[in-house]
Amino acid sequence: MRIGMLCLAWAICLASAVSLAPHNWAADEPSVSPARTLEQLVVQSERSIVKLYGAGGARGLESYQTGIVIGDGTLILTSWSTVLDVEKVRVVTFDGRRLDAEVAGVDPQCELALLRIPDAGLPPYALDPELVPRVGQRVFAITNLFGIAAGNEACSAQKGVVMAIAPLTKRKGSLKTLYQGRVIVIDVMTNNPGASGGALIDLSGRLVGVIGKELRDEQAGIWINYALPVDVVKSSVDRILSGQTSSNAATTATVSEPHRLLDLGLALIPDVLPKTPAFVDWVKEDSIAARAGLQPNDLILLVNEVRVDSRKGLERILSSINRADSFQILVQRGQELIRIQVRP
Amino acid sequence: MVCQHSVVAQQETASQAPEAGKIDPQIAPEPAAAVIAAQQQRIEAMQRAAAATVGVFGFDGQGGGSGVCITPDGYVLTNFHVSSPFGHRMRCGMNDGKMYDAVVAGIDPTGDLAVLKMYGRDDFPVATIGDSDQVRVGQWCFAAGNPFVLATNLQPTITYGLVSGVRRYQYPSGTILEYSDCIQTDTAINPGNSGGPLFNARGELIGINGRCSFEKRGRVNVGVGYAISIRQAMNFFWHLRSGRIVDHATLGFTVATDNKGRVIVTNILESSDAYRRGLRYGDEILRIADREIATTNQLKNVLGIFPNHWRIPLRFRNDIEVVDTYVRLQSLHLPVELEEIVQGESSQEPAPPPRNPQDEPKDTDKEEDGKKEKGPVRGQKAKKVDRLADRYESRRGYSNYYFNRLEIDRIVGTISQRGDWNATGPMWRLQGQVAGEPTALQILTGDASITAKAGDREEAVGSKLGWIPWIQQRSTLPLGLGVRVWQLWHRIGPQKMGEAVYIGRSPLVGRDGLFDTTRIAIGELDAVVYTAPDSGLVECIELTVDNQTDPAEIFFEKYRSIDGRSFPAQIRLAYGLETRTAMEVESVEWNAAPAAEGTD
Repeated sequence: MRIGMLCLAWAICLASAVSLAPHNWAADEPSVSPARTLEQLVVQSERSIVKLYGAGGARGLESYQTGIVIGDGTLILTSWSTVLDVEKVRVVTFDGRRLDAEVAGVDPQCELALLRIPDAGLPPYALDPELVPRVGQRVFAITNLFGIAAGNEACSAQKGVVMAIAPLTKRKGSLKTLYQGRVIVIDVMTNNPGASGGALIDLSGRLVGVIGKELRDEQAGIWINYALPVDVVKSSVDRILSGQTSSNAATTATVSEPHRLLDLGLALIPDVLPKTPAFVDWVKEDSIAARAGLQPNDLILLVNEVRVDSRKGLERILSSINRADSFQILVQRGQELIRIQVRP
Repeated sequence: MVCQHSVVAQQETASQAPEAGKIDPQIAPEPAAAVIAAQQQRIEAMQRAAAATVGVFGFDGQGGGSGVCITPDGYVLTNFHVSSPFGHRMRCGMNDGKMYDAVVAGIDPTGDLAVLKMYGRDDFPVATIGDSDQVRVGQWCFAAGNPFVLATNLQPTITYGLVSGVRRYQYPSGTILEYSDCIQTDTAINPGNSGGPLFNARGELIGINGRCSFEKRGRVNVGVGYAISIRQAMNFFWHLRSGRIVDHATLGFTVATDNKGRVIVTNILESSDAYRRGLRYGDEILRIADREIATTNQLKNVLGIFPNHWRIPLRFRNDIEVVDTYVRLQSLHLPVELEEIVQGESSQEPAPPPRNPQDEPKDTDKEEDGKKEKGPVRGQKAKKVDRLADRYESRRGYSNYYFNRLEIDRIVGTISQRGDWNATGPMWRLQGQVAGEPTALQILTGDASITAKAGDREEAVGSKLGWIPWIQQRSTLPLGLGVRVWQLWHRIGPQKMGEAVYIGRSPLVGRDGLFDTTRIAIGELDAVVYTAPDSGLVECIELTVDNQTDPAEIFFEKYRSIDGRSFPAQIRLAYGLETRTAMEVESVEWNAAPAAEGTD
């Protein structure tokens, strides 16, 4: 079986350039026709890719993206984005089934999120941190770019070659990204609207990367096509799963004398949406918040490593922290993530 | 030689693999003979494909799009949005380094197709037509064409990529232009590629490139291009050769997906053919044209690839049973709607005035490509003498009426091959019997009246007027009316019968293949005559009253020779899908005397 797979990998490696190959190509493997193998590979991969629908739809903000089934088949790995700012994220499987997903946790540093769905028998991708693609290697992106596929329609497949594996350099104002680590740079336009969270697979159909969010170099005006390598993704997923960033604020017990926004000297933008992001509107001079270093326009992401999914969520979390206790928050300020200790 | 090498090399490779135990597929091996052989095959496929690829330019050489030649006498498939800015006259470049004069034949503004005719050779290189229904995601494909009007030396640009998606539906963007059931590819499709061919890896034509998704990244490829399937293009090809402004279709009912995921009829016109075939509100649509329907998108996909008036299979489920039937497709637009669109996009005059910028095709969203590359067509045309002036005829409802006459002439040419009809008189008497019954049947057709006598029962009607009630009542007399039209078709030809329009090629229920379809206005109704493309034999005549009534369908079957003339041994009358009656023809009297009328 294992030998068979290796032969297959060989055959595809060659056939990828040449589906014109003679039909008796794999003479030793009558069941495997290389001209069809790449098709089968793509079809097989599609089963582990889902279409995600959530918040957005306004100009420049898509309300859809792509997700990858991992773990035991009930976890969806995707980009952490405004699409997830809804109570339930709608998941549409390869065969058109519609499922509701909850955000299980997020990792702001890698801009990744995990969603949890009921078991729907979806085949998961393994996250093998050893699987680092090489420069020049043939890869395929499977994404729902532009939201082209709907219902039971298959996500789009694109071919590409790994151009480089390099860090997204921290050039302030040039690349608007929170993630600053290594990425796989691809030679074709994979990172289109809706593509983020999609899979980058190799010729054996193994997951080698997760397509990142749309990213444009503000100075050069160039769109960058990249994926997060699996080792980075794996440690991010492990972090989320180990509960470092849980989102289960609702179950936290309230205390009798909690922190309150007013007492902290903090005003957030008005709560107008079902999930209004916790943006700081105003900070009172000499207040606790001001002394801690909070500024207007900061987006509060985590409090004591608990994910803040909305303004209401922040108030809930604060209600569980005793007024006398200090706490740690993570804010996004522009393109930076800043950890702040708030001391009463 | 090379092929043999490739197989040997592959076997070696395969047998080495297990022995090596651990093979890293990521390290490229030395190019094996198999790879080189396959590369050679690819080069050959591309060379064949490039030879049939056409660069489309304005009459004065300006602008540019792409096309592909599919017949040796020079019929070219391209996009409507490529041809429309050029009016009816253009020039086509091929990779033999020559420019050929061309005119537009038919256009399909909804499906974004046009057919051009090149002149100058009778052995143009043609593309091999592939089967777009077999195209799958993950197959390799390549496009040939004229992106960014680079092909100044008339050598097409080839771009290679992957089929990213199949059976895609792309909504009309701003205009009526709609891409249904199209092929999505990451092959670089850029402005100027429009109208050009998409080939599979074997070099067979699978689509016509026409549209891209761009959004915020400007008008260059971002890895998403769409090609109209060659299946759709070939469904429309003969319609487009008719020189008409071709329309798409509706089914006469609307659907929605219910909460169980079933596609359910939510509204149906009582005048629709589907209603007459028994489809009702709330019924579930299962299959259309042999394609499973599980979503409304799939229904739109299937519908978009057929011309109007085609009759396609439908399977639906009502409360009691699953029903298999056929439905006639209705026109999607009023003729005037299509004409307005065409007038907005192109000029119908032989020598157009300088184009007003406002007449430029609207830049619909950011989607269709090709337009921005075209310079405005200036009035220099008038300076040149157009050698093809006689290949263009302006007429309302047509993009070029010349081609309609051409096709009718072709069909008329087959009539004399079927016998000497001039020697027949104005009155024919057919003797025979009702099929499967011992009842004698006689049909007498002449310039004064048409009579059908079955046993003792005789029915008669005038030779021009008064036909409609007989069809509405589903009587047997229209068997004689069909014979009358058949007689006129052979004796005087379609042009003298009434206004004759060549429609294209359409399917017939229960028959394989497509049939030349000609519509003739006779008296108060339309006769639609279906003829076999090669033999010219009349297979079916439909007498159409209006869209509320099933037409009378008269089938002419089991042709044999009578007195050196091809004549059916069986003539069958049907309404809807039910046979009303049939006649077994035993003899024909070609010069019957009028005095014989009414006698035993």
